[in-house]
Amino acid sequence: MSAVVEDKPNSLWRDAWRRLRRNKLAVAGLIIIAALVFVAAFGPWLTPYDFLSQDLDARNLAPSLAHPFGTDDLGRDVLSRLIYGARTAFLVAVIVTLVALLIGVVLGAIAGFYGGFFDKALMWVTDMTMSVPQLLLVVVINASLKQPITLWMEARYMETMNPIYRNSALIDFVLVFGSMALISWPPYARLVRAQVLSIRNRPYVTAARALGLTNRIILMRYVMPNAMGSLIVAVSAGLGTAMVLESAFSFLGIGVNPPTPSWGNMISDGLRVWTNYPHLLLAPAAVLAVVTVAFNFLGDGLNDALNPKGQK
Amino acid sequence: MTALLDIKSLTIDIARDNGPARVVDGIDLTVAEGESLGVVGESGCGKSLTMLSLMGLLPNKIKATGGSAHFAGRDLLRLSPKELRKVRGAEIGFIFQDPMTSLNPVMRIGDQIVEALVYQKAMAKPAAMQRAGELLELVGIPSPRDRLMAYPHELSGGMRQRVMIAIGLAGNPRLLIADEPTTALDVTIQAQIVDLVRELKDRLKMSVVWITHDLALIAGLADRIAVLYAGTVVEDAPVDVIFDRPSHPYTRGLLASLPTLAGKAMDRLPSIGGTPPEPGRRPPGCPFAPRCSLAMPACNDALPKLAPVPGSDPRHRVACFVTTEKGAA
Amino acid sequence: MNAPLITIKGLSKAFPIRLGAFGDKAAVVRALDDFTATIIEGETLSLVGESGCGKSTTGFCILNLQRPSGGSIVYKGQELAQLDDDAMRPFRRDLQIVFQDPYSTLNPRMTIGEALSEPILFHKLATKSELPARLSRLLADVGLSDRFASRYPHELSGGQRQRVAIARALACEPRFIVCDEAISALDVSVQAQILNLLLDLQDKYKLTYLFIAHDLAVVRHISDRVGVMYLGRLAELAPSSDLFANPLHPYTRALLSAVPEPDPKSSRQRQRLQGEVPSPLNPPSGCRFHTRCPLAREKCKAEVPALREITPGHQVACHAVTSATTTQWEPVSA
Repeated sequence: MSAVVEDKPNSLWRDAWRRLRRNKLAVAGLIIIAALVFVAAFGPWLTPYDFLSQDLDARNLAPSLAHPFGTDDLGRDVLSRLIYGARTAFLVAVIVTLVALLIGVVLGAIAGFYGGFFDKALMWVTDMTMSVPQLLLVVVINASLKQPITLWMEARYMETMNPIYRNSALIDFVLVFGSMALISWPPYARLVRAQVLSIRNRPYVTAARALGLTNRIILMRYVMPNAMGSLIVAVSAGLGTAMVLESAFSFLGIGVNPPTPSWGNMISDGLRVWTNYPHLLLAPAAVLAVVTVAFNFLGDGLNDALNPKGQK
Repeated sequence: MTALLDIKSLTIDIARDNGPARVVDGIDLTVAEGESLGVVGESGCGKSLTMLSLMGLLPNKIKATGGSAHFAGRDLLRLSPKELRKVRGAEIGFIFQDPMTSLNPVMRIGDQIVEALVYQKAMAKPAAMQRAGELLELVGIPSPRDRLMAYPHELSGGMRQRVMIAIGLAGNPRLLIADEPTTALDVTIQAQIVDLVRELKDRLKMSVVWITHDLALIAGLADRIAVLYAGTVVEDAPVDVIFDRPSHPYTRGLLASLPTLAGKAMDRLPSIGGTPPEPGRRPPGCPFAPRCSLAMPACNDALPKLAPVPGSDPRHRVACFVTTEKGAA
Repeated sequence: MNAPLITIKGLSKAFPIRLGAFGDKAAVVRALDDFTATIIEGETLSLVGESGCGKSTTGFCILNLQRPSGGSIVYKGQELAQLDDDAMRPFRRDLQIVFQDPYSTLNPRMTIGEALSEPILFHKLATKSELPARLSRLLADVGLSDRFASRYPHELSGGQRQRVAIARALACEPRFIVCDEAISALDVSVQAQILNLLLDLQDKYKLTYLFIAHDLAVVRHISDRVGVMYLGRLAELAPSSDLFANPLHPYTRALLSAVPEPDPKSSRQRQRLQGEVPSPLNPPSGCRFHTRCPLAREKCKAEVPALREITPGHQVACHAVTSATTTQWEPVSA
């Protein structure tokens, strides 16, 4: 701690950014994630080959100059598929985490701040959700909902002739994302609730009450900003987890359906042949691992950087 | 009396991103056999770090970087961690500020004392349990044998601090260091603990170093007082000299700003303006100069050294150019 | 004599708690019992006592930061004791508080300027354009320069933070401030500065203080009246000069005797109170002090002594005290 002498105005975010830049691991994480975002956004223009184009004469090729990560059992370029898979991975991670976060933060904050019956009810629901094996829950959701939704969409298509209802990938995405968000929100809700519970008894919250501020202002300006640090860490770890989760579903065949590439179904495919063609497993697995670790580094760095008590 | 503890030009630095910051800046302190020394200062003056450095208990990133601290002939700063461990507890006992957090909440009181005894005195467990009961009796805990089986949360704050003192005394130390042991306690309990330590000191013929920010408290307890400011000793004198004829402007300011029960009730207390400098931002000269009403230009140039006060008690030393040049005021 | 500002009658606070391994045993902590006093406009009324005596609970209940379980608090002819948050809000402007630890009572993620603007804008005490001038005046009032507005709490020293906490209370333009151990956490050389600042502000803005403290020496210098509390009850309430010159309740005397004096000669022999404060969970019957009282008799175990006026303005709750000069009973030798 030091008494600051310089007189330029401080802003929380500018300070945080300055502290973040000092943290080499966090910067490395940020660069990797920025690269992922870029690749996800411009994937189709970056791939050396079409991710669907098969070259049956060039199957299971080892890495070479023409195919830096080799080719798969249908002769498709692995690098192109990884690049295109980044789009899936990124979409899954962001959408699932955002939806889960929205549900978790709203419910957790209300439960923690106001307590009472709502708090108890929320805890029942989260306990129940968390006690059911995640994969099982998703399998059940997919198995029971896929059929009716598909039928409903077909019926809508017959009525409207709108081609959007014929897009089977959309069903996959909605179902996969939806069920993933459904199993992902309880940890956020519990985290936010625990944070809010401890923060709402901090003396500065009592001080805010003594000023006559309303509960809404106290929650938004005194409680939530101070709960942000641990939430950001959880989110950055959660983004990585969501990618791993999607891979697990694809591996089980309930995720994104082929031929759309996802890192998960690439790992799943690679695993079947890994003794003969290890590059088909290693390439997607390594990319997934690097990205997951990058999210964790960035999360830790953000947590330190957003704490204004941190050393300058 | 010979010096049991002799600290010379001790410096302690905190590692910071932008280089080390000096917290303790050349402290000299001695404690004679059987003497009780009060170390008085405000937060950040380095009083606790000085004592922790003797025990090798400085927190991470904080290191003793210079000077020496001789205890019974050995330099504590140069002992290996293993040798220090033998000194800690057995020869130097320690009592901390907060009795709530310094006791292990899931261990019975008796077991915590026995642990200290078995470790420091290599006693057998039954004998150690016997001794633990005697120690609790020594520190004035009623029905001590029953209390051996109690958990810390079953005792009040005052009783817990007595248990801490019993643990501090377990090894029959020659020196007891008490770091603000009554700050967390109520006035009436505080008075009881002060009485207890004074009585134990006489009975066990220990030396005591009592670290505190409370000048009034230390008045009834110490033989000699060292006043610390911003990592340096600014005044060191027998207790009655400090209270009757304080020399350093900081000591005088502190005493004047102290509200008392005796004397005239005042509408406004005299106060020292400003705040103590942060470590690493201390002025090059006397650290008190920016707040001092008597400061001369010379005070900003060099750090004054402890020197005898002309015309005062021979043991009265002060680090102040103004006092030592003009004679005791 | 000024007019009463806040009239408190029979104020009580009981906390229900659960005990036992399964929380199956319900119990009640009687933190505050039958507190009656009138706070006079412009005065400093101090409450002193050891931990658990209910002095802070009193302050929190008066401000409705803790809901009283019984009794009445009348301010401006309005009963505050059972108001809900919304009904209480208009009164919060007038009734403010400064807490013990200024660091934990400032939001670590808000600059000083933001923290001070919040109450001003919320209570519409200034427009956005008037705000900078208002902030600068507030900071000047507590002896800080404008540049502190852009700082975070962790960049300030303890004394500066407490100045900010005082400025935040002042931002509401209050009439009454509870100072809950407001200088206890500060360094000795800073305590006197903050005390003097509080007194200057009292003169300047005609403030009324309820000063909650455990340091009797401090209290003596700044109070008009002092109340001594023990285990949730008021033991003695008197004008400051009267209380320190002629303490009547045996607890007050013991408390005064325990205060260390900065004089090596005087402080070696003192009257000592034996034992510790009993748990408020299961307080002693009758007079709550009887377990430690040198004067205690059978009557004290059975009957709760009422607060009686012995001399004008000097109230004592003790069976043994009947006049300002004599106690009825001799100390029991232990």
